[in-house]
Amino acid sequence: MVEFLQFTLSGIVFGMIYAAVALIWRGTRLLNYAQGGMAMFTTYVAIEVIYRTGSYWAGFVVALAAGIVLGAAFQLTVIRPTMNKPPLNGVIVTIGLLTLLEGLAGILFGGQYRSFPAAFSVTGLKIGTTPLGVSRFDVFTAAAVLVTTLALAVAFKYTTAGLRMRAAAFNATIARLSGIRVARVLTVGWALAGLIGALAGVLVSPSTFLYPNSMDTIFVFGFTAAVIGGLDSPVGAVVGGLLLGIALSYVGGYLGSDLTAVVALGVLVVVLMIRPGGLFSATRVRRV
Amino acid sequence: MSSAAEVAPAGADESSTLVLEGLVAGYGGVIALDGVSLSAGAAAITAVLGANGAGKTTLLRAVSGMIRPRRGRVLLGGADLAGRNPEQMVRAGIAHVPEGQGVIAELTVEENLRVGMMSWRGALRGPAVPARAGPARAANSRAERTAALDEAYERFKPLADRRRKLAATLSGGERQMLVIARALLARPRVLLLDEPSLGLAPRVMTQVMDLVVQLSRENGLTIVLVEQNARAALAIADHGVVLNLGRVVASADARTLAADVTLRHHYLGF
Repeated sequence: MVEFLQFTLSGIVFGMIYAAVALIWRGTRLLNYAQGGMAMFTTYVAIEVIYRTGSYWAGFVVALAAGIVLGAAFQLTVIRPTMNKPPLNGVIVTIGLLTLLEGLAGILFGGQYRSFPAAFSVTGLKIGTTPLGVSRFDVFTAAAVLVTTLALAVAFKYTTAGLRMRAAAFNATIARLSGIRVARVLTVGWALAGLIGALAGVLVSPSTFLYPNSMDTIFVFGFTAAVIGGLDSPVGAVVGGLLLGIALSYVGGYLGSDLTAVVALGVLVVVLMIRPGGLFSATRVRRV
Repeated sequence: MSSAAEVAPAGADESSTLVLEGLVAGYGGVIALDGVSLSAGAAAITAVLGANGAGKTTLLRAVSGMIRPRRGRVLLGGADLAGRNPEQMVRAGIAHVPEGQGVIAELTVEENLRVGMMSWRGALRGPAVPARAGPARAANSRAERTAALDEAYERFKPLADRRRKLAATLSGGERQMLVIARALLARPRVLLLDEPSLGLAPRVMTQVMDLVVQLSRENGLTIVLVEQNARAALAIADHGVVLNLGRVVASADARTLAADVTLRHHYLGF
C-alpha cells in the first residue's frame, strides 16, 4: 500500500513535469532538444550556488533565473536566424545546443553523478504511527508542479499573452499580419521553456541524481506525452502527461526501470494507431 | 492612368488613399514585380487582375510587408511605409487577407477574432500616417474590445452561433467570413484581399462579393482586390489594373476594361 502510494505520487510528479514540457511546446512549436540540456545545466548552477552560499532557496531562484536567461539568449542568438527556414533547421540547432550544453557541463562540473539536496526533510511523514511513504519534500514537489502546470494551462488558454503565443506558434504569417510581434513572442516562449526546465530539474534531481545526461529521458517522455494527448490540446497535454507519468512509475516500480522506455514507446504506438491525432486532438486527421 | 481623386467618390478620405510608386519586389533572383505604380482611392474597389504568375499576390505581399520591396514607395495618406514589417503595416492601417481562407484552424472562432485586435496594442514606429477622418483610433480597453467583438458578431451572424467552435469546423464561406471579420477588427483603412472567392460555391462567392462592395460603400474602406475570376471582380470594382509579368499593362475604369475585348482575350481569359 505504501509502495503503491509512493509510485502514484512519483508518477503524478513526473507526469505533471511531462505535461509542463508538452505545454511549453505549444509556445514555440519547435521540437526543442535543448530544453533538457538547459534544465540539466541550470540544475548544476543551482548545486554550485547552494554549495557556495549554503542556501537552498538561493540556488532555487538563481536556477530559475538562469533558465529564463539561457532560453531567451539561445532564441535571440542561434534560433532566430532559423525562423524563416524549414522547421527542421531549428530542430537541428537545438540538438547542437544539447550537445554543447552536455559537453560544457562535463567540462565545468564533471561527469560523475551528483546528488542534489532537497528543500525539506525527505523522511517519510506519518499519520500516528502509520508511515505514508511520502515526505514533506514530496508534497512540496507535487504542489509546485501542480500549481505550475495548471497555471501554464490556464495562461495559455485564457490570457491575451497566451492567445498571442498560440497564434504565433500555430500560424506565424497570420499572426504577423494581425500585428503580433512573432519574433518577440517566440523569445518569451523560449524563456518560459528555460524556466519550466529549470524548475523541473531542481524538483526532480533530489530523487534521480544529476549528471550531464540526466534530463534527457524526462524531456523525451514530455514530448511523448504531448503526442499522446494531442499536440494542440492543453487538456491533452495534462492528461497525456499524467497518464504516461503514472503508468511509467508503476512499470518502473513493480516491473523494473529498464522497461519504462519500452512501455512508453508501446503506449505511444497504441495511441497513435487508434487516434492518430492523439487522445484529445480536436482537428480531424486529413486522409489523403 | 486615372488618379485616386477621379476614382474615389466626392468627399472621400484622402488619408486612406493608397499609392504605389515604381514598386519592385521578388524572391531570390526572380523579379516578380517590376516597377508597378497604381493608386487605390478611399471608398473604392481596385481590382488587380492578370494570369497566374503576373505578380498579383506579390503585389499584396509587398504592400503588407510580407516581403520587402527592393525599390519603390508604398504611400498611405502621403506617408511612405515601404520596407515596414507586417506588424507595423497593420498598425498603420493596412490589413492583408492572404489567399486560402487563412483562419487559424486550431483556435476557436472567438480566439481568431481576438487575434484581429492584437494590433491595437503597441505604437506605430516611423513616419506618422495622417490621421483619418471620422472617429479616432479605438481606446485599448476591455469594454472597447467587447464592443468591437459584438459588432463583428452583429455583422457576421453565423459566426456568433459558432464562437466557441474551432475554426477548423467552419465551412468555406464561414471561414472567408471569419478572416474578413478578423481583418476588420484591426480597424484598417486599406483592405488587401487575395482571391476571396477561391474555392467557394457560386452562391457563397456572390455573398462574399456583396460584402466587399458593402465594405467599400458603407465603411469607406480602400479595397485592393486580387482575383483570378476577372469577370466577377470587374463587376464590382470601380477601377481595374491588369498585370502581366510583373508590369502594369492596363489601368482604367472597371467598365472600360470589361468592354475591351482584345485585353480580355489576351490577359483576362473571358
